Amino acid sequence: MFEHIKQWLAQRRSGVTGDHDPEHLPTPKTVDDQQLSRCRLVVLDLETTGLNSSKDEVIAIGAVAIEGGVIHLNDQFDLILRRPELDIRETVLIHGIGTEALTQGHETEDALLYLLEWMNGDPVLAYHSAFDQKFLEKTLKAQLGYTLPHVWMDVAELLPAFFPHADVKGRGLDHWSDYFRLEVSERHHAAADALVTAELTLVALNKAQKNGVKTLKELVEKLHYQRRLKNMHRY
Amino acid sequence: MAAANQDMTRPQNTRAIMTFLREHSPFSSMDDTHLAHFAEHATLRFYADEDVVLSPDEGVVKRFYIVKQGRIRGERHNEKEDRAETTFEISQGECFPLAALIGERPTRTLHRADGDTFCLSIEQKAFITIFSESEPFRDFCLRGVSSLLDQVNQRIQSRAMASIGSSNSLDTPLERYALRNPIVCSPDLPVHKAVARMHENNVGSIIITDDNRHPTGIFTLRDLRTMIAEEKGSLDTPIRQVMTKDPCRLPATADAFEAALLMAEHHFAHLCVVDDEDLLIGVVSERDLFSLQRVDLVNLARTIGTATHLRTLVSLRADVSRLVDSMLAHGADSGQVVKIITTLNDVTVRRVLELNLKKHDPGIPFTWLTFGSEGRQEQTLLTDQDNGILFETPEGMTDQDVRDKLLPFARKVNDELAECGFTLCKGNIMASNPKLCLSDREWDDWFIRFIDASTPQNLVYSSIFLDMRAVFGPTEPLHRLLKKVLERIRKNALFQKMLAGNAFQRKPPLTMFRNFRYLNDEKKHVLDLKRQGLAPFVESIRVFALANGIETANTLERMEQLSKKGVFDAKDANAWKEAYSLIQAIRMRAHQEMLDNGEELTNYIDPDDLNPLDRRILRESFRQAQRLQQKLEVTYQL
Repeated sequence: MFEHIKQWLAQRRSGVTGDHDPEHLPTPKTVDDQQLSRCRLVVLDLETTGLNSSKDEVIAIGAVAIEGGVIHLNDQFDLILRRPELDIRETVLIHGIGTEALTQGHETEDALLYLLEWMNGDPVLAYHSAFDQKFLEKTLKAQLGYTLPHVWMDVAELLPAFFPHADVKGRGLDHWSDYFRLEVSERHHAAADALVTAELTLVALNKAQKNGVKTLKELVEKLHYQRRLKNMHRY
Repeated sequence: MAAANQDMTRPQNTRAIMTFLREHSPFSSMDDTHLAHFAEHATLRFYADEDVVLSPDEGVVKRFYIVKQGRIRGERHNEKEDRAETTFEISQGECFPLAALIGERPTRTLHRADGDTFCLSIEQKAFITIFSESEPFRDFCLRGVSSLLDQVNQRIQSRAMASIGSSNSLDTPLERYALRNPIVCSPDLPVHKAVARMHENNVGSIIITDDNRHPTGIFTLRDLRTMIAEEKGSLDTPIRQVMTKDPCRLPATADAFEAALLMAEHHFAHLCVVDDEDLLIGVVSERDLFSLQRVDLVNLARTIGTATHLRTLVSLRADVSRLVDSMLAHGADSGQVVKIITTLNDVTVRRVLELNLKKHDPGIPFTWLTFGSEGRQEQTLLTDQDNGILFETPEGMTDQDVRDKLLPFARKVNDELAECGFTLCKGNIMASNPKLCLSDREWDDWFIRFIDASTPQNLVYSSIFLDMRAVFGPTEPLHRLLKKVLERIRKNALFQKMLAGNAFQRKPPLTMFRNFRYLNDEKKHVLDLKRQGLAPFVESIRVFALANGIETANTLERMEQLSKKGVFDAKDANAWKEAYSLIQAIRMRAHQEMLDNGEELTNYIDPDDLNPLDRRILRESFRQAQRLQQKLEVTYQL
């Protein structure tokens, strides 16, 4: 995969910089009757410098794709953007983006463009997705002026919707991964967290299928209903 | 550093999968580039409890799977009972379906998730790439799980081999040895002519055959020496009068191990090798077997068997331990090694008895019995005494008269055996115990009470007294006794059921989740390989053997005979024999290591100390014990 990024970045650097018409990027899909057992879903996790979306910044993006109900490890995204507290050259080297690109000041922009291409406009899932959505939308807008809305779903809502009786010790990612005895290879590494989130998504989709929830639309409606139910309980 | 740097250029999730793979065989011995290829081309799949993963209906298998988390079980439909039967289990780090993928056919077994399960999977294309590029992987796929067993054996052997350095295996069939053309003669040839013939051919033995080339006797230089020294006859004597009649013989398909064992037991240096029709085709000597090796089993057995002082016997015990090392090195499996230990122990016991008889013969013939593991011929280096005496009371004496004569003798023998390293039995199950030095009638009564009154204590004793063997003295009295005992057990369904219930109590150390169940809270992570691992086999097999009139006490032989009698399915019997032997092998290796480290021998091991392969094999072996117990459960409706 990194070969692709390198190639792509090399192309970008060899002249045609700045030629990013957002309209040439894949169009975000809308919620429709896509079969969950077939469509592609993006599961994403961001690492940021803090929790305040107006002040803090995205450090790393990790994402994996689910397609046909299966996680494809050759279809993943693992990139550290900027880590001010670390030696930037080293961080960048690790992830295959040359210092050249960095000095030209394209690295975040290029990486985000690549992310958008890679995402292919497919629905995005994340754990506590509101957080990731807010940060990503803010970054996309600031860096690329990109404002197209993507379909977002919260895995933190998905799980209790399909496992309402699960004896989970809390509402965090760790609690659910403990419940299903999943191992996170490196916690708070964007890609590792994205993978474990995707694993939980597989578990939920498996259950959804058995409960007769077959299309993306049905899934979104189920989450919507779940949210209303929760709000009713609240008031 | 170069490798580490290269590793760092890989995405986190790829690295994590490679780390996972490295913990399991055969991936642990594969190159990083192949592991990376695997990880980058893998998909991760989830199966909820009871989901079908692979089914025979899906056609030719196109994917290769590894269990990342959870467990898969293979299901076969049992026509007779119309229910699904688990044929195998695949747990974390294990691969499937090898045979179907290699054979490009559909799987024959339904694979079902047993609990929530994640599998990594690669497509056929990636599989073929790795298969063609990685030798360890190819080796594993082609030989399947059997290659895992080989690896275990190789490791056992190579470790012991390091101290010896030879590769000739005792599994080699005798026909592969350069069998010398046997020097033969007819029974009427005078001794001096026979010896001349031996001299011409420069051999140490001559086989006496009948007109049809069936061996009828053997004459060796040692026999000649004895003959002259003891003035047994002139050199014109026909050889049939001085030869050893009915010489020991083995078929050409027998292996070197059997030959060595036979020689050790009887202190021969030569054996006849015959074909299916008992026609002589060769002679194999101790020197032939061991010319390339320094395994001196026969020599050691002879030294023990002819030792003239107790202290010699005591000093020879160290050699027994050394021999076990070398036996493992020469490819003897655990079944062979326990038999060797038992053989050497038998020789020692016999010699101690003979030396004592020379000094103060009580004057009454008796049969020396051994019980328990020694009775089963399953002794390891850690052993204590379980013995007794069976005698026939001569006319004009009471049983008590005989006992009074035999007990002081038995006491001395027990003490001397203790000096030789056979620990005195804490439960006083020894020949010097008046309750275990009994006449044939008394033993019979004893067993009648034992079988009729199935007290808990008796059930505990069943593992000792129902595994019985004669080591010294006439064997016929024991045979007669055993026949009666077996007949009573066969007729006593209640006793059988009590035995079965008792055997069923001894659960293999696996939890519901197929993890190891440890001894207790104090001994976390400790398994007792004898009590928890072997005993479930030994106890269950005993019930079946006794119920089916099988006289031998050896667990492997009992299984063999139960399979022959059709009580066990041949495949099941094989799986159980293999599982039992593997636990025994792991136990013996542990003993050997404790000995090397100068530690006291125990049967405890921590599975965490084992490598993942051994752990897996141990777990699978325990699972076989569970299956055996299930058979017990069904048979006796426990």
